[in-house]
Amino acid sequence: MSIRRGIAVALVAALTLLVGCRNDAPQTQEGESGVKFDVGVTKEPCPAAIDKAKGCIYLGSISDLTEGPFKALGVPITESQKAFWKRVNEAGGIGAYEVDATKYVKDNKYNPQIHNEVYAEIKPDVLGLAQTLGSPTTAAILADLKSSNVIGVPASWTSAWAFEDVILESGTNYCFESMNSVDFAAETLKSKTVAAVHFPGDYGDDAAAGTKIAAAANGMTFTDIPTAPGQENQGAAIQKLLAAKPDLVILSTGPTEAATIVGGAAQNGFKGQFIGTSPTWNPALLKSPAAPALTALYRQSGPWAPYGTDTAGHKALAGAVDPATFKAAPNDGYTAGWVWSYPMKAALQKAVDAKDLTRAGLLAAVKSLETVDYEGMLPEAAGKFSGAPGERVFRQSIISKVDPSAPTGVKVERDFFTGKTAEKHEFTKPCYQ
Amino acid sequence: MNEFVATVVRGLGNGSIYALLALGFVIVYKSMRVISFAQPAFMMAGALLVSYLVVSMNFFLAVLVALLLVALLGAGVERLALRPMIGKPVFVIAIITLGVDIVIRTVVNSFIGLDIRQMGDPWGLGQVDVLGVKIDQRHLATLVTTLVVVAALFAFYRWSRTGLAMRAASSDQEVALAQGVSVGRVFSLSWALAAALAGLAGVFLSTGIGLEQNLWLTALKALPVIILGGLDSLGGAVVAGLSIGVVEALVGSYGGDLHPVFGGDFFLVVPYLLMLLVLLVRPYGLFGTREVERI
Repeated sequence: MSIRRGIAVALVAALTLLVGCRNDAPQTQEGESGVKFDVGVTKEPCPAAIDKAKGCIYLGSISDLTEGPFKALGVPITESQKAFWKRVNEAGGIGAYEVDATKYVKDNKYNPQIHNEVYAEIKPDVLGLAQTLGSPTTAAILADLKSSNVIGVPASWTSAWAFEDVILESGTNYCFESMNSVDFAAETLKSKTVAAVHFPGDYGDDAAAGTKIAAAANGMTFTDIPTAPGQENQGAAIQKLLAAKPDLVILSTGPTEAATIVGGAAQNGFKGQFIGTSPTWNPALLKSPAAPALTALYRQSGPWAPYGTDTAGHKALAGAVDPATFKAAPNDGYTAGWVWSYPMKAALQKAVDAKDLTRAGLLAAVKSLETVDYEGMLPEAAGKFSGAPGERVFRQSIISKVDPSAPTGVKVERDFFTGKTAEKHEFTKPCYQ
Repeated sequence: MNEFVATVVRGLGNGSIYALLALGFVIVYKSMRVISFAQPAFMMAGALLVSYLVVSMNFFLAVLVALLLVALLGAGVERLALRPMIGKPVFVIAIITLGVDIVIRTVVNSFIGLDIRQMGDPWGLGQVDVLGVKIDQRHLATLVTTLVVVAALFAFYRWSRTGLAMRAASSDQEVALAQGVSVGRVFSLSWALAAALAGLAGVFLSTGIGLEQNLWLTALKALPVIILGGLDSLGGAVVAGLSIGVVEALVGSYGGDLHPVFGGDFFLVVPYLLMLLVLLVRPYGLFGTREVERI
């Protein structure tokens, strides 16, 4: 072997060794205040910084913004979250940092594949996700969230999230919400029979599972009526309701499907009461021909009170969102986006206090949260993220009644309560599994 | 028995919408041998225009004006986006129609906004009692209007000079051209008619609760309809549309009684199962023309 060839082989071997030993883990740095950080945090100020002397925490947001089925929720949720973090920054930020939730906002079109792609795109630049909208979409990135210690705030309420450390959910889930609705109806409306009309999947099936559990606990007859999206596809569900004649119907569909079912059943003389989970409501339905039936027969269950409720958090939200924009399309997506942001703020604060703003540090901060100050929008106990799922899951929900004079068409009828079924339920796995 | 009749009428109502959409597909296919994927966009555009026009005029007048505007839109799309592609592979033209669909729907969606737009129709969720059977007025209105429109369309094709020209162009473009038929005009008219029919389907689909962005998905049900009826058969589109509507309604209401597997949302796959079945037995559809190819 010539000397040249020997040198070349040695160089290649050295390079191979160097590449092989390269450390893929993000490099940990230390800020001026002694706070450690790795990904998605910079010493430089945020693009729209209020205090240029502060560093920046970047949070990503993946939502349904243009053509997916939940655009009506995704757009206000995203706008509300931007307003939330702007308010946090104006109040001094998180320690020596401000938070940016505007630079890495992506559209998932409610498609798990697109969700995964845009997540991969923004992942190297963000500390966590201020929003990951949808259950199937979030499920598509869950494995990576877990392996990379990326905290995500879900814009969905499936009971599966309580079993994931990296998911920072707020309020109760569809399962407990439906249990409480059945208990409420059994107690207040004296319902003896119940039907669950629901979409397939972890939204509708979760609510139907909660309904079934509560029906059994209350000795009520239960009828399961799965249905498909689309106004024109609700005829069979209405017919099955008319045949079963339940006193109570728990709805977990979209708004137009819910209105078609309530209006269509009422036209045929159906007298039962409906309680719909929060995604079944849209205030625009009060302008539809189903409005009289909805006013007479429909209630909405929810994880928290609607826009316009008298709490400090609701007032802050109303002050932060442009009134003209809200009036043009009143929507409780604003309320949801605002509420969901509180635990992320608490976790960031705790991580900064512990001088560890790395992804692992933020995860540790989340797992140690015992309470969160939701400024009255949710009880502080809803912010418990430590302990087993059965201990930390929040079981309280509210019931609202249609009120056309309210900003989003519904007003609280029964404030936060835990029904006897939800209280006793042993929560060892997601309800729909 | 009453429940069964009500189910059939509901199926005929939905089936009428599928038939109107399928007729548009067939008309374009007959003239250009292309499947137009822009039909969902025209459907949404028709419904959107009515929801805006109805604020300042009577519903029926709003429908007429909207259909005229959508027809012009259809003709405009053909002239600007499709005509220059004549002679190019059919696949390329079909992909262009897909692009047209996305562009128009994006614009339409921006006007629909996040909420549900009301159509101001006189039927709402109202019902009418026919021989003791409660039937939704909107389903009855959809069925009657479809029958009238189909009769007018068939008469137009059978007895009018333009209809004859369209049939001639559909049969053999070169011979029709030699006989003085303006094939370009036939293309424009086909697109205008198809767009107006889709617009009408959109209007009826949105009656009841209202118009929302996701409604366009219903237009995809026209695909199994045209395969079932035959790509070039107007009569086939009507028969297949109504049949699929009725079968869907019956399976949705009674399928679960036969076996739990057929309950729930199994009815959604029924049109596609029928389509597969027909493709296996009669690849040209129940009423489609069997193509003779020189080997």
